[in-house]
This record gives sequence, C-alpha cells and structure tokens, in this order.
Amino acid sequence: MKTVIETKNLARVFGAGETRVTALDHVSITVKQGEFTAITGPSGSGKTTLLQLIGGLDEPDSGDVLLSGANIAQMSGAKLSDFRRDHIGFIFQSYNLIPVLSAEENIEYIMLLQGVPEKARKSRVREMLALVGLEGLGDRRPSNLSGGQQQRVAVARAMASKPDIILADEPTANLDSATGIALLEVMRDLNQQMNMTFVFSTHDYKIMDRADRLIHLEDGVVQLDEFRNS
Amino acid sequence: MLSVRLAWRNLFRNTRRTLLTCTLITSSLMVIILVDGMVLGMVEVMVGGITHTLEGEAQVNRKGFRENLEPELRLMKPDPITEALKNDERVSGFAPRVMVGGMIASTYNTSGGLIYGVDYQAEQQVSKLKQALIQGSYLTGAKREILIGKLLAELLEVDLGDRIIISAARVGTSDITQELFRVQGIFEFGPEEMDENFAFINLEVAQAMLGMEGQLHQIAIRFNDPEDAKDSKLPTLVNLREAEVEALGWLDLQPSVGGMIEMSNYASTIAGAVLFVLTSLGVINSMFMSIYERIYEFGVAKAIGTTPGQIISLVLFEAFFLALIACLLGIVLAYGASSYFEAHGVPMGRMEVAGVLLDGNLYTKVEAYQFVVFPVYVTLLTLAAAIYPAIFASRIVPSQALQRAL
Repeated sequence: MKTVIETKNLARVFGAGETRVTALDHVSITVKQGEFTAITGPSGSGKTTLLQLIGGLDEPDSGDVLLSGANIAQMSGAKLSDFRRDHIGFIFQSYNLIPVLSAEENIEYIMLLQGVPEKARKSRVREMLALVGLEGLGDRRPSNLSGGQQQRVAVARAMASKPDIILADEPTANLDSATGIALLEVMRDLNQQMNMTFVFSTHDYKIMDRADRLIHLEDGVVQLDEFRNS
Repeated sequence: MLSVRLAWRNLFRNTRRTLLTCTLITSSLMVIILVDGMVLGMVEVMVGGITHTLEGEAQVNRKGFRENLEPELRLMKPDPITEALKNDERVSGFAPRVMVGGMIASTYNTSGGLIYGVDYQAEQQVSKLKQALIQGSYLTGAKREILIGKLLAELLEVDLGDRIIISAARVGTSDITQELFRVQGIFEFGPEEMDENFAFINLEVAQAMLGMEGQLHQIAIRFNDPEDAKDSKLPTLVNLREAEVEALGWLDLQPSVGGMIEMSNYASTIAGAVLFVLTSLGVINSMFMSIYERIYEFGVAKAIGTTPGQIISLVLFEAFFLALIACLLGIVLAYGASSYFEAHGVPMGRMEVAGVLLDGNLYTKVEAYQFVVFPVYVTLLTLAAAIYPAIFASRIVPSQALQRAL
C-alpha cells in the first residue's frame, strides 16, 4: 500500500515562557492508502494540532509533513490552498457548511474551486448525495437538515473533490450517540468501497472501536500506535 | 456563478444590518444628489440674477469704462460692433446703452444716481427691466419718459407722472445739461443698489442730452446658448476686441460671482467627501461585523481550498450588491425628492449674495448625470471601503479561525 501521510519529527509549541505549551513533541507517523485511523487522547493531548498540521492549516515549528510525497510544511499561500483543495478533504466538528448554500451547492462549492465543468459537477453531487444517503435532500439548506444530515453533507463535500485523504476532527462530537455511529458507518463504508484514507480524532470509545488503527496521543507524544481490525 | 450567488445570499443573513447599511449609503447618495441639485439651482439663480437682470451674458465696453464709469470712455464707432452682433448666429439679442452718473431731482428731494439710456425694444431681449416694473408702464421711446427704482421714488417722494430733473455733464465739454422727465414707471429689481440709484431713459434722448449721438458706452449681449458666455475665447467676443475695446463674458465681468460659484462647488465637493468618508466608515464597520460573525465560516472556506483572492472577491461582491441595492433605492428616493424640490423649491428666505438677490424658494436642478455619476461614485466608494475588510478576511488563518475544531 502506498504511503499517503508521513510526518517526521513534527513539533509544535504554543506560547512562550510560563505559558509555553508543547502541543506536539516530535511526532512521526505514517498512514497508508485506505487506512481508517483514529487519533485518540484526552483534551489537550495534541489531536487537533496533529490534524491541523497534516492538513496544512497550521505550520510546524519543526519537522515535515509529506502528503503523497509532497512536503506541505514548505508550501504557503495559494499553492497550499490549491493543494488542500485537490488532495485533502476536511470534515469539521460543527458549523461545517455554508449556511446560505443548499446541501447540493455546499458539495458543489469545492468542485467550483477546482474548475470542474458544470455537467460533471452536477453528476458528482448526485453521486455523493446518494453515497451518504441524502438523495432528495440536496435542495435543503443546512438549517433545514438535522445535525447528522449536515455532517453527512460535510462528508459528501469532503469526498467530492476526490482527495487523497480525509481528515476529520471529532466529527461526531456534536451528534448524539446513534447519529454519531451512523455517520461513522457512512465514513467506514466509503473507506471500504472507495479505498479512501480517513484520519479522524475522537475520544468516544464507541467510535474508536470502529477504527482499523488507533494512534493515542498524550501531552503531544504518541503513546500507542496499534492496528486493530486489519 | 456560485460565489456571486453566495455573496447575494450573504446579504440577507442579517437583514437588519444590511438594511441599516443600505440606509446609510442610500441617505448619503440622496444628500449628495440633493446638495448638488441645490448648488446647481443656486448657481443658476445667481448667474440668472447677473446675466438676466441687467448685465447681460456678455458686454462690450471701452477699456477702463467699467472701473469708474468715466463717460468719456465711450465706443466712438459702435456700428460695426452692432452689425457684427446682428449677423452672429450665437447672439440672441443685444442692448446698446449709454450710462452716466448725474443728479436726479424732484420737487422735494435730490439724489445722485446712474442714468441709463436704453433702446427700449432691444433692452427687452437682454434685461428684465420691463419685468421689474411694479408700477406704471414701460418705455415707449417718447422723449420725457423715465423709469426709476422703488427706493429712489420713495427718496424723491415722487409717483407716476411726477416731474424729475436729470442733471449731468456732457461728454467732451463737461458742460452741465439738464432735462425734464416724467415718471413713466417704477421698478424693483431687488438689490438695493439698483432700486435706489438707477434710472432709465430712452437711448436717443440720453445720447442727445450728453452730446454723444451715434456713440455708446456699453453693449450688453445675450446668447442663444448661455454656456457660450463662459468661453473667454468665443469668436463672437474675440472678434469684437480691439486695442481700446473689451468684449467679455459674465465670468470675466463678475469674477467675484465666478469665485462664489467655484466656492459653492468646492463646498459641495467637501460636503460630499465628508459624507463619503462617514459612509465608508459605516460600510467598513458593517463589513467587519459581517466578517467577524462568519470568521469560522471563512476558516472552513479557506481550509477546503478557497484562495485568498476568492475570499476577497466574495467580500467585494457582497459590497457591490450592497451598493447596488442602496443606489437603486437612493436613485428612486433622490429623484422623488429632487423632483419635488424642483417643482416646489426649498424655502430660503431673502438674501443677497455677491450682489444677486436670492429671494423666496431655491429650486433644485435635476440633471441626468446626478443619477448616473453619483451612484457610480458611491458604488466605487463602497467597493473601496470593502477592500480593507476583504483583505482582512483573506488573511484569516484557518487554524486560528477553527479553534473550536479542525
């Protein structure tokens, strides 16, 4: 399996002096194509920081992030924006969708940024809505969708750009348990059907149980890295 | 285009704020259009006051005459000038005059004054002498008739038909000459100086009295297009100029009024600029509030690959739509208000500006450019005001905006 994510000695420190906090302390991990990986750990362990650095949303103080061989730690500006757009799908915890756009338009948005022709966009939108089980709800705005449905749209949006990896930070945190598990099942199905690489953070044991691999962080250090179901 | 749709819809996420900002922009546009209309109206009244009351839009005088009204400084051979004016298509009319300072006496009183000898028919093409009459009738060409101002009539304690003696010095000899007249009419131009000092008699009578038959002091001109008078290089005027003869438009004849008009324009420009600045601050404030409310959303948009340029476009589109709505509203309201004040006027009372009487209502001028140029300015200004917030939004760091989650 090809390596899609590789971090080398990734370090990130916030603050200075007495307020200095080491969020990540020389973290090196490798994620291969098609893995369904959960990053776990208590609050403040560095889960979000690790995902932000992998996603190119933040810059490491030291170390490298290689995504499909490209070192995004050395990218900036529009080049980094374009890379994120084309190679990484994001699912956020909440306030995920653009409220004034319908579900379809939210999914279409990223393809517009990519310059995908209209016909292909519309077709892909329909395909994505079907994959996440939201056929017939495409014209609804986020305010007319449940939390679980909104997160499914977010998954569809993340998938729409055909990224190499999908990063999700506690995607089920604002959902009730059953809805959270249902969302994770959707992600899992996509992972298995399309061999899509998912890396998500969680501190919910029911969610962790569904991951192939657990990377446990504490105080910015990898304490455990285990493969489970694969 | 999704970003255009997105921008349009974003405007209605906080309808109250959008309405308030629109109201601010709309009000500014309305004020700018109304102020411009009022300034145009005032300028028109001032220019009309000067050019249509007595002075004419242009004048031909012997050089130096206007400065001290020295009777000796006359147009010795005015016929070629009047002939040229008759044949000039730009000229709608001209009035030959002689002017002399003299004593005006009644049975009861005496006063100094300026006596105009006018061609009663030609004068009607240039000045409002006939319209200014409040009593009696206009000149008919008869030898003894005289028109005097209302204040002069009061001073001399005369009424229609009463006798008046004019004493003046003949040109060339300086011999004193006297003529008897009877009050044919009493006029009121408005400015005190005119109503207290001016008297009008027939041109040929004045010429004979002063010993300047066939000669003139002044020729006042009106043009078919009043704008012609502003052109100091107008061939009509240039061709009349000689070594001793000047032919000038009203801007050169009344530089103080030109200055007043220029000052009015500056004042309205400054008022507009101040208004623009205040509006800009309002727009900047509103845009920033809108951006701060959506900072997480901008973080998400940037995270999924929206470039800084695309964020800037989005914010500028929002500003453009804001300006568009406000301007459309402003155009309709300003047109309504301007049209109302054009028809009914703005009550201004009575005041004299640069020797011109502004009396009663000031009527605004409605011009097409006001509804094209100013909205374009306002739109550009709104866009300019949105640049800073747009750049701010484009520089949002996703990781900081998304502090609560990835």
